Amino acid sequence: MSGRVVLVTGGTRGIGLATAVALAGDGFHVVAVARRRSEAFAAASAGVSGGSLHFIPCDLGELDRLQQLVQTIRREHGPLYGLVANAAIGTPGLLATMPDAEIGRLVHLNTLSPMLLTKYAMRGMMAAGAGRIVTIASIIAFTGYNALSVYAATKASMIGFTRSLAREAGRLGVTVNAVAPGFVETEMTESMDEAQRERVAARSALRRLVAPEDVASAVAYLVSDKARNITGTVMTVDAGSTA
Amino acid sequence: MSLRATLIDEIETITRDQGKAMPPLTDELVLIDTEFDSLCFALLVARMEDRFGIDPFSTLEIADLPVTLGDLIALYDRSSLAGAA
Ligand SMILES: NC(=O)c1ccc[n+]([C@@H]2O[C@H](COP(=O)([O-])OP(=O)(O)OC[C@H]3O[C@@H](n4cnc5c(N)ncnc54)[C@H](OP(=O)(O)O)[C@@H]3O)[C@@H](O)[C@H]2O)c1
Repeated sequence: MSGRVVLVTGGTRGIGLATAVALAGDGFHVVAVARRRSEAFAAASAGVSGGSLHFIPCDLGELDRLQQLVQTIRREHGPLYGLVANAAIGTPGLLATMPDAEIGRLVHLNTLSPMLLTKYAMRGMMAAGAGRIVTIASIIAFTGYNALSVYAATKASMIGFTRSLAREAGRLGVTVNAVAPGFVETEMTESMDEAQRERVAARSALRRLVAPEDVASAVAYLVSDKARNITGTVMTVDAGSTA
Repeated sequence: MSLRATLIDEIETITRDQGKAMPPLTDELVLIDTEFDSLCFALLVARMEDRFGIDPFSTLEIADLPVTLGDLIALYDRSSLAGAA
């Protein structure tokens, strides 16, 4: 078995898949978790060189399965070195008319689930005295966007979580950082039309959109040994949208 | 190594690594009265889960938290039996 093990949630599509591929390319033994194995994931895992790319199906909304998930990975793949808490949903809606259950689902999957998963994933890192945790936030956590208040709150929660956990985990040799992407073209944002895309690109300093690979590079850097003295930070990857 | 011996061994290792001075580890020892702080405790839970795959704390209510070292050993004993059953 090659490479240190890194768990990437939502590693089958979009930013998560690009991250899983980048980490596998850097020599890590990557375990992607999502509900379904996507075609893009299957194609990518066949083409990986350096490390390796694996898949475990799990609905991360089923909170009582998270501890077991971490134990399964440990048993089948080895002790966890890193966690990239990426899986999330981006359901839009005006707060005044958003169904309560929908608000609950967003907080459940985007906030509660990564917190509990981190709790369990971090234990092995604590025991080993080394590890990497990267959470995926969003620039919307600090800029604001119409009809994304609940989503924005869940992403802001990841930033608060990351900063404080970095304090807690630092003494144990574990770094905790967040990456805040701007608008990235993935399935999460496919509902935006061409005009909206152009507006987003025009507002950015670099006049273009961010690709999933750009976010993946930032995550891979934070997971790498080169980032050993970086913890508790938020790295923005938004082509200068918030510059 | 028995569960009790492992727990004591881990507590000794953790307190040594963290530079904590501990009184003799008797069953009556009240852990919060010692230098065994929340970080030491978190490390202990992590290492026990690592070694035995058991974690009595994830489902525990605050009221049932162990007070003495003896309580802690008993708690781990119960959860290892529950796991084996
Ligand atoms: N796209 C953007 O513009 C953008 C901007 C800023 C931040 N972000 C953040 O970046 C992260 C990734 O976004 P993305 O755009 O790449 O999303 P995406 O393309 O929609 O992919 C989401 C991933 O999460 C998985 N997932 C969703 N629900 C799940 C569940 N209940 N259990 C397990 N896995 C689940 C999906 O797989 P299954 O559906 O098979 O489960 C998929 O692999 C998110 O945290 C998002 O908030 C995105």
